[in-house]
Amino acid sequence: MSVIATAILAPLFATVLILFLRRMPAALALLAAAIGLLASIRLLLDAYAGISHELLLPGLPNLPLHLLATPLTALLSTLVAVIGTLVLVYATGYMKQDTEKVRFFATLLFFISAMQTLVLAADWILLLAAWELIGLASYLLIGFWYQRPGVKSAATRAFLYTRSADLGLYLAVFILIASAGSSDIATTLNTGGNAAIAAGLLLLVAAMGKSAQTPLHDWLQRAMAGPTPVSALLHSATLVAAGAILLIRTAPMLPPETLLVIGIVGGVTTVVTGLIALGETDLKRLLAASTSSQYGLMLVAVGAGVPLAALLHLIAHAAIKSALFLGAGVFQHSRDSTALTKLQGAGHDRPRIFFGFTLAALALAGIPPLSGFFSKDAIIAAALASPDAALLASFALIGTLLTGAYMARALRILWRRNGTQNNVPGAGAALNWMGTGLAGLVTLAVSLAAFFPTIETMLSARLPENSLAQILGLSAALAGLALGWRVPARRLFGFLLPWVQQGFVVAGGVDNLLVRPAFAIAHICEKLESRLYAAALFTGQMSISIARSVRFSDEQGIDGLIFSIVKNTVNLGRRARNLQSGLIHRELAITVVLTTGLFSVLLIVLFI
Amino acid sequence: MLPIVSITLFLPLLGALLIMGLRKAPAQLVHGIGILTSGLTLAGAIWMWSRGVADTGFAQVEQIDWMPAIGAAYRVGVDGISLPLVVLSALLFFVTFIYSAKVRERPHAYVVLMLLLETAAIGTFTALDAILFYVFFEVSLVSMYFMIAGWGHEDRQRAALMFFIYTLLGSLPLLLAILGLYLGSDPHTFDIRVWIADPPLTGTAAMLALIAMLFTFAVKTPVFPFHTWLPAAHVQAPAAGSVILAGVMLKFGTYGLIRFALQMTPASFHQAGVIVLIFGVFSALYGAFAALAQNDLKRLIAYTSVNHMGYIIIGVAIAALATDPAIRAIALDGSILQMISHGLVTGALFFAVGMLQDRANTREMDRFGGLLKLTPILGWSFVLAAFASLGLPGLAHFPAEFQIFLATLRVEPAAIIVILGIVITAGLYLKAINQVFLGETNTKWQGMPDLSMRELFTLVPLLLLIVIIGVGPAWLLNVIHKTTIALPF
Repeated sequence: MSVIATAILAPLFATVLILFLRRMPAALALLAAAIGLLASIRLLLDAYAGISHELLLPGLPNLPLHLLATPLTALLSTLVAVIGTLVLVYATGYMKQDTEKVRFFATLLFFISAMQTLVLAADWILLLAAWELIGLASYLLIGFWYQRPGVKSAATRAFLYTRSADLGLYLAVFILIASAGSSDIATTLNTGGNAAIAAGLLLLVAAMGKSAQTPLHDWLQRAMAGPTPVSALLHSATLVAAGAILLIRTAPMLPPETLLVIGIVGGVTTVVTGLIALGETDLKRLLAASTSSQYGLMLVAVGAGVPLAALLHLIAHAAIKSALFLGAGVFQHSRDSTALTKLQGAGHDRPRIFFGFTLAALALAGIPPLSGFFSKDAIIAAALASPDAALLASFALIGTLLTGAYMARALRILWRRNGTQNNVPGAGAALNWMGTGLAGLVTLAVSLAAFFPTIETMLSARLPENSLAQILGLSAALAGLALGWRVPARRLFGFLLPWVQQGFVVAGGVDNLLVRPAFAIAHICEKLESRLYAAALFTGQMSISIARSVRFSDEQGIDGLIFSIVKNTVNLGRRARNLQSGLIHRELAITVVLTTGLFSVLLIVLFI
Repeated sequence: MLPIVSITLFLPLLGALLIMGLRKAPAQLVHGIGILTSGLTLAGAIWMWSRGVADTGFAQVEQIDWMPAIGAAYRVGVDGISLPLVVLSALLFFVTFIYSAKVRERPHAYVVLMLLLETAAIGTFTALDAILFYVFFEVSLVSMYFMIAGWGHEDRQRAALMFFIYTLLGSLPLLLAILGLYLGSDPHTFDIRVWIADPPLTGTAAMLALIAMLFTFAVKTPVFPFHTWLPAAHVQAPAAGSVILAGVMLKFGTYGLIRFALQMTPASFHQAGVIVLIFGVFSALYGAFAALAQNDLKRLIAYTSVNHMGYIIIGVAIAALATDPAIRAIALDGSILQMISHGLVTGALFFAVGMLQDRANTREMDRFGGLLKLTPILGWSFVLAAFASLGLPGLAHFPAEFQIFLATLRVEPAAIIVILGIVITAGLYLKAINQVFLGETNTKWQGMPDLSMRELFTLVPLLLLIVIIGVGPAWLLNVIHKTTIALPF
């Protein structure tokens, strides 16, 4: 079997196997993830050596399915496999007590498999398919504890938000295939003109849905209803990453107008969701808002015309954010809650986990020599070098400042003890698995920057260099950290705090603007429906009563006219002979007249 | 060569006659004969599939003179449009017989009617003579009327009557059109192949014939505003009846739309294409929105049928409007595949709801809750079929809808607005799953049994095919594409 297929099929086979065997789900999952990881690494090494793997499969007529490992896609595939494996290691501990491990590991592997398909797809149909399938997988995982209150609405919301935005991807794909005559992604990237502008904007809509960009950011915070390993995975290398990956991959096609829009969307998101994170009262929701904010920064980089900077931040962020979530999961286990008030001092009680969490937090804030510093620096430098430097760079710097602020605030709350917070006794073995997964991710979060130069060479792209960017970025990060550590959110926001905590909802948000009208239309249709039904029924009953009255009069008439029957019959026969002339056109005419009569009655009744 | 088309076509009729002869046979034996006959019919259909289709025109044609004086003959055969529908029908009838093995209320009449319906369905798809087509088309109506009236739910009499009046009135215009085409052909014949190869009518006559045909097929498909019989009939019909009605009989409308309207009056259809397209778009969106407002699961699925059949109307209209044969083929490939997918997916959904109703005696969504915990196999089957119905990639509807939308954007970009439907259907199915299967388990349903073997044998073949077609539709599309790319207009 080809290497590229192994990366996708190893987790997929394991899904099926786990569902049928219904035993040893964690072991099978880890084995499959390891095989998939080896395949991905092989793809990456070969791509580095200039060998590309590919696979053509029959799809729709003249539109074959295509998998291809280029340096970029092999790199993303490895990222997905690494993060996926470490999250599975952690999940082995996290899910130890759960009774539905089979379903959990099967779905998680399906998720990884779909994401591998998405990154390795080289044609639009396969990409679109994988894009929707990761939506399904996250629906199933967010809704994993479907009996708990609030879970089903969170899962539904996640699926519907992203699927609505997916219409953008559908339309963009149709436009690109129509204008290029091929579904091959590389071919369609040569599209220019209005098709490129339209397709670019539509791709942005799709990316905004998946990467939870303002105003479609709300679903991500609510998606915290799922188990923590799920959050770790879908915030880092999978679901949410898909949006940014889409834009990074299509960046060569995007015209300047579209790029500017992308930059502005990303910039607004990084500020808005950064503020939301700062006002948050729940650790996991804080991290979720932070995810939107960081993806906003990546969109700024794409908008500035340096997708490589976005890619580096995506890689760094994947390791950092999954580490943060896994740490949060440990604290959650020890306090049985993720509310910040309940977590006060939780870090103090688990110092080693807190140490890892802190390293990841500092990396996210952008403190050297941790990986986040280099990727953020690249984004700021890119923004400074772009034609809209003033706008994009200020977005990037505010985003960086806010990152420092909310991470410092979280650290402070986790560290400071406050009276009597009791730990729930944790299972030792479970903690070992969780700690191992976390340690792996923190190591990556700290050290990934060492690979950045290799990635640059491999993709043969250069980052803009700018020492001003480094100074500005570092000062913003430090200022943010200081702000967050010293000033409580209440003081920062004042009377605006409730609004921030509701996620800056304007006019009831997307729900009021989209969901209500949909139901209103549905009810209008339903009303029209009962009218139509009544009309049809009325017509039917009227025909029947006409038939009855005819019969009635006939029966009455029979008595009175019994003697004229013979005469009538003769007459009727004569007339019928005229009627049945044997001339088909004439019979046709009679039938037409009669049928038209019937239909006009029906239509009149319908529309009165 | 063995006349396998005719054997497949008349096997169910033979089974029906056999059962009529065995008046005293116990119910199990009667159902056994039903399952066996439909199984053999399915085998015949698969045999037909293995023989394949021709590069142009019809394959496996079998012909016997019938009324030579008026040019009517017994002619049957298949092409890439009808062959998949024949196999779909045979499969759906087979699983329906398995599902129906529980029926103890007048089992003889039930099985006989179903077998009669099966012959009528396969006959409609294989007939190559317009008179023959019309006969099968009408016979199916009678059988379905008795199915609904005899084995339906609370309000079955009214629904059956509505169904009958509507579709009977609906099919009269088709008869006129057939007569018109007959008179236009020279020499006079009812041979469908001749009508397709050389459309007999032109100008106003063709347009009038087209309007008549459109009317008939719009009622049958159904298209807004002629769809009101559908929810009523579906809600009242027994689950098996709903499956056959949605899975097989609705396809008569869209099959006729392609076979008659598109192939016999292509020029007029090209002129009127935009109007048909508008009806299709409106119908698809209307069906989706109306489904969103439902609380009865069967009504909900019935309205999503209006939505899905709307996509097929769009595909056919786009095929009529397209001037590039390649794009026309894409649109038709999508439409025909959509018929197959809809048959499988809606069949599975109606079965699942039927199984739910067998257990709970209700179809109201808000009376359930948390059933996934109690009946996981039934629950996940419904979830899979629902996601297929909302067009998720990897499941049967996606390749079909993708092609329809792709062709639509290339021919009539404004009509792509219909893509909103896929979000609405997502919303309504998630709402249904939420209310019925997720959340806290309603204690009232404690102890509800999961699927039995009989029910598994009914559902699993459909679900497997939904996944197989979704993941790799090439084997099916190749057969369809062979015909659609070689259409002579």
